[in-house]
This record gives sequence, C-alpha cells and structure tokens, in this order.
Amino acid sequence: MNVIRNVTCPICGTLCDDLEVTVKDNVIVDAANTCAISDAKFMNYSNPKHRNLTPLVRKNGELRETSLEEAIKKSAEILVDASYPILYGWSCTSCEAISAGVELAEEIGGVIDNTSTVCHGPSILSIQNVGIPTSTLGQIRHRADLIIYWASDPYSAHPRHMERYTAFSNGRFQKSEWAHYVARLRGILGKKRLSRASELVLMKEAELPVVSGGKLPPKFETDKRKLIVVDVRKTRSAELADFFIQVEPNKDFELIQALRLLVRDEEVETDQVAGVPVSLLEDVADTMIGCDFGVLFFGVGLTMSSGKLQNIDAAIALTRDLNYRTKFVIMPMRGHFNVAGANIVSTWQTGYPFAVDFSQGYPRYNPGETSAVDILSRDEADASLIVASDPVSNFPRRAVENLVKNPLIAIDPVVSPTTAMADVVLPSAFVGIEEGGTAYRMDRVPLPMKKLVDPPQNCLSDREILQRILHHVKRLRAQRGIA
Amino acid sequence: MTLILKLKKKLSAPVSAECISPDTFAGKQESEIAGLTLWEGNRKRQLSEIFEVEGISGSSPSETTIHIKGDLSKTRRIGAGMTEGRIVIQGNGGMHIGEEMKGGTILVEGNAGSWLGSAMKGGVIEVKRNAGDYIGGAHRGSTKGMRGGVIIVHGNAGSEAGSHMRKGLIKIFGDADQFAGIYMKDGTIVVHGNSRGRLGAFMTSGKIVVCGKAESVLPTFSIDKINRKTKIHGDEIAGPFYVFVGDLAEHGNGKLYLSQTENEHLKSVELFL
Repeated sequence: MNVIRNVTCPICGTLCDDLEVTVKDNVIVDAANTCAISDAKFMNYSNPKHRNLTPLVRKNGELRETSLEEAIKKSAEILVDASYPILYGWSCTSCEAISAGVELAEEIGGVIDNTSTVCHGPSILSIQNVGIPTSTLGQIRHRADLIIYWASDPYSAHPRHMERYTAFSNGRFQKSEWAHYVARLRGILGKKRLSRASELVLMKEAELPVVSGGKLPPKFETDKRKLIVVDVRKTRSAELADFFIQVEPNKDFELIQALRLLVRDEEVETDQVAGVPVSLLEDVADTMIGCDFGVLFFGVGLTMSSGKLQNIDAAIALTRDLNYRTKFVIMPMRGHFNVAGANIVSTWQTGYPFAVDFSQGYPRYNPGETSAVDILSRDEADASLIVASDPVSNFPRRAVENLVKNPLIAIDPVVSPTTAMADVVLPSAFVGIEEGGTAYRMDRVPLPMKKLVDPPQNCLSDREILQRILHHVKRLRAQRGIA
Repeated sequence: MTLILKLKKKLSAPVSAECISPDTFAGKQESEIAGLTLWEGNRKRQLSEIFEVEGISGSSPSETTIHIKGDLSKTRRIGAGMTEGRIVIQGNGGMHIGEEMKGGTILVEGNAGSWLGSAMKGGVIEVKRNAGDYIGGAHRGSTKGMRGGVIIVHGNAGSEAGSHMRKGLIKIFGDADQFAGIYMKDGTIVVHGNSRGRLGAFMTSGKIVVCGKAESVLPTFSIDKINRKTKIHGDEIAGPFYVFVGDLAEHGNGKLYLSQTENEHLKSVELFL
C-alpha cells in the first residue's frame, strides 16, 4: 500500500493539488480530498468497459484491431494526404503533448484548435480587445470579500472551487463562511424534504423558491465575505449564495452595461433591465463599490449566450470601471483541467491561443474563419485528428456530419462517440493518472501532474503517439519529395 | 479591358485569392496571370489550375475589369488592398472581399461572406444579396475598422456590421443582425430594414439610422429628441426619428436614429423628453 500525497486532480480548471491517492499493486484503491467527479474518475478509470485498449483501424466499414505501428502509419498517411486537416481537442492532455501537436500541425500544414473554441474562446477574443484585470486564486482566497459567480455553477462544475478559493476557504485576511453556508444548506434541504412530503400528502405541486427580490437583504451591510450568484436559473450554487440575481436568458449584456452606468454614478432611464429592478441593481453596484477586494468569476453561460465576446467585453469593462473606485478582478471559470494550458502552449509556440491555421506555412489566426466548428460547418476540412476530446457528442450536427464523413483519427483513453465514428483509434494513457506532465490552472498557474500507476500495455502517452505520427509524417513527406 | 475568370471545379478547401485584384493583373499577359500562385488549403496552386483565364487586362489598374464566374464562397480576400479598377463576382463571394481596399469598385451579384470590406479605406463595394458578419469591421485584435469608402448591401447583413468603424458609409437595405456599429468611432450606418438590437454598443461617436424596427435599445443610450428627418451624405431620409445618444458607459456621443412609426414599443421614452 502506497499513499501518494499532493496529487493534482485531472478533472476541472480548479486543478486541486491536495489529493491523496492510495495505490496497491498498480491499482488505485482509494482517493481522498476528491470531489464526486474526480472520485468517479480515480476509482473507475481502469474499467475495461470504458477503455480503448487496442489500436483500431476501420476496414470495410468496421473497426478492426491492429498493431500500434500499423495504426500510426495509417494516421500519418491520412494527415499527409489531407489538404486542410484539423487537429482538435487538447484540453484534457498535458502541455508536453500539446507542444508535440503544434509541431505536427506545422509540419502537415493543418489547423490546430483547442476546445476553448466552444467554451472560453470569446473570453480570449475579449481579453485581446479590452485586456484583463485579474489575479491568482491565492490572492482571491486570502483577500476577496465580495465573490460574484456570473453564469457559472461551481457547485456542480467546479465542486471544490468555493471550498479552496472563495466563500468556504479560510484566507489570511478573510474568514471562511463555511459554517454559515452549511447551516443554510441544511435549511434548504429541510425545506425541500418538507415540500416533497407536502407534494405527496396534499397531491399538489410545491411552490417554487423565491428568486431575486427588489432589495438586497440587510445583512449585506456586515463586513463578512459575501457571495452573489447571477444566472438564468436558480442553480445549486445560487441556493448557497447570500443573494441570487435572476437575469432573463440572453440579456446579460444589457445587465452588465446598466451596472457599468450605475458604477459611474449615472442614471438608468428604465425601471428594470433584463428582468432585474434598477433599484436592486443600484444596491448591487453599491455593494460592488463598497467591497475591499471583489472578484467576478464568469462561466460559459456568459461566453456562449447571445452576445458572446461582447458580454465578456462588457464584463471586463465593468471590472475596469470598478477599479476606479475599489479593487476588483475578473476570471474565467475554465472547464477542462488543462484548457488554459492549451491556450498558453499555443500562444507560446505560435503567437495565438487557439484556432491557428498553418496551411500557408506560417501561423494565421481568425476565429470565425479558422476555428474548428466554422471550418467543419462549411465543410472545408478533409481529415481530422482528435486528441482527448469528444466533438461528435458536442459539436453542432452539421459540423459532426462533415467531421465523420472524412478520415477521422482519434487519440483517446476512453471509448466515446468520437472513437466509435473514427477511422483510426489510438489508445492512450490518462494524463494525471498513468502519465505525468504539466497543466495550467484557470488562473494560469502551472502545476505538475503525477504519474500514479503504469498504463496498460499498448497505451502510450499522447505525447509519444504524436511524436511517432510526426516521425512517420516527416518520412512520408521526404519520400514524396514534399518540402 | 475585361478579363474573365471561370471557376473550373467545386472548391472544398479555402482558396486564398488575394492575387485576384486589378493592381496585380494590370499590364500582365494572359499567361502571366495564369501563372500567378495562390493557396488551396495547404497546397500551392497556379491560378490556371483553379480558374480558366480569358481576355486581356488593361495597362493600368484603372483600365482593368475582372469578371469572376462561379461559386466563390470558399475563396478569401478577393480584391484585397486594391486601389483602382473593378471586380465583378458573378455568383457568391467568400470572406474578406475588398479587405483593406483603397479605391475602385467591387460588385458581388450573389451573397458575400464575413469581413466584407474590413479595414477598407476607400472605394465602393456593392452586394446584391446578403452579406455575412463584420462588414467594414476590423481585423481580430485591431481597433481600426473601416476608414473610408462605401459598402452597399441590398439584402440582409450579419452581426457587428461596422465594428470599430472610423469613417465612411454602410448602407443595408435589408435587416441587420445585432451589434451593428459596435465600438464605432465615426462614420454612418443606415439600415433600411429591421435591426435585432444592441445597436451602437460601446460607440463613442458616429451615426446609426434604422428605418425599420429596432428590437431593443441598450440601457446605456439616452433619448435626446425627436427629429422629423435626417440627412445621410446629402440624401434626405424622412422620419420621424427618435434620436438616442450614447454609449454613456463609454462617455460616448454617438447618435441612434430609430424610426418613430416602426418602434411603438419605445413610446415610453417620450416621457423623458
């Protein structure tokens, strides 16, 4: 029995690095300090039902087992023959593998794009437009006294974010509100049980919980840590918050712009904006100005609803305006554990964070033109390599149709709709469990991922698979006399 | 002098065609033009591999007219940086048509893609049908959009028409999607159809006229007055128009002219006059 301490969790952008994993005979038997999502991954990752364990190549319409060498050769041929290949994924692998991927993209003249194109790509475009006043999560843990989650549900998607960095954390200058929130949680659970019981007994539907009222509660004037959630529906995080503001769907832009006016002491001429009374917004603006260190975390609900990057432009501009009055920072809630790393490696090596087109030999960047979903929707790509991602289950239908009709190579440790539709499947090792590497947290702090157990036979790391494909690509191009 | 390019095949990968411009073609023989290089995906091709070339080009760009036939929706940057002459696209055009053009005219008889006339400085672009997003916009990361010239779209336009616009005129006879005139610093946008709203977000100056219905006005715009009519480059457009000023979140002084008769839902703002 061997307990490995300070393990970095390979799930979400929070990248918790305090896990304790117990390993016995190359098998993980226990994992401590995990959330429900990471516990499920650590305890079930090796289930052979979900794993790709042998390389597969499609012959006569069926995926057949083959040798690793054969699968890598076939992949290299597909990529060399393609005139506009896409290399997509990258956010669930290590920075070392992404670096190898960028080299491969340059060699074959392809487009390399990462999953931020469908999550926080607009945030990146916005940061390029407006800049970003931000900090590390450590600063926020120790100093932030006003925490706002906008269009993000950390309770469900980043389960330990509040515990490690915001409302539940015990910082040097800010005390944890943990006990307070636990009492509130118990109250909510009690109410839910009661309403369920009344539903059963009285055969009628329980009343919906009350959403944003016209005024902030009086306890907001105390100097304790405050948590506000802004969302289109009452999420689990919203239930925990001191105050919840319900915004009409796709109206976030109007709400942020109105807040900007109020922060500048100007008037809003209407009674309500995006379904929120202006009197309440005035109170919220006062709370924002009145805090010592505020932070605005925003999620995909802001980047992918109507307005996209303009929502983020407005949110960053709001943070900028607030910095005339107090200290305020803003941070995107990055999803996959190394999606920030994908942007950073891409920027370090090509100058651009995502959607980089190498087709003319040098990096070009124009999201909308060179981003994966747009290219696939317009049916321009003629081959794809997908690494550690599952676009078949989450891209728009037209993009998926065009993705699967052309040769598709998938490098993935698990069976997914993408590997099921692929022409070549290369099994790989789980980064953070079977393979080490580097990953970037959502605040762009790099953390080491640990190798805890050995991968199954035939499962190489993403990096090694990509380097082998690159080696074959170079040899093929030399044989064909391509410069 | 007219030169005719006919598309030989259906395009799949994007074709980077910035060499198709009167400035490049002027004074060149047919064979020289056929030998110009362009990119199809990651392959370098000669112009004659993709287009049939017929006719003769003029001795100077101003005497050169280029007619292009076929579905060019996969092409990029036709007429980029052109200074004089004329291009007629007899079919659909691709992205970045007339990017950074300084003069001359481009006529697209079908639809045009996104970034039509982005960062253009002069000349005229006319699209007979619909155009994509970012008409007269800026390059990614740049704050310099259209700085002169005229763009006329007879159909509908996508979102963010005239983003970061600094000078010039955009006329849209159909509808415009949201965020028309975003970050606008100067110049004029006229939408004869309806607008999906969020007009002039972050604008600091300039003029946006909507003759149809505007779905909404941002809370950062304030009603100023009601005008009976307005003038665009000497042409009078009959109103009456609600005149809004904004974007106040940017201390802006841009003007929104929204038709009073088509925008009954804005009647409540008259209380503030």
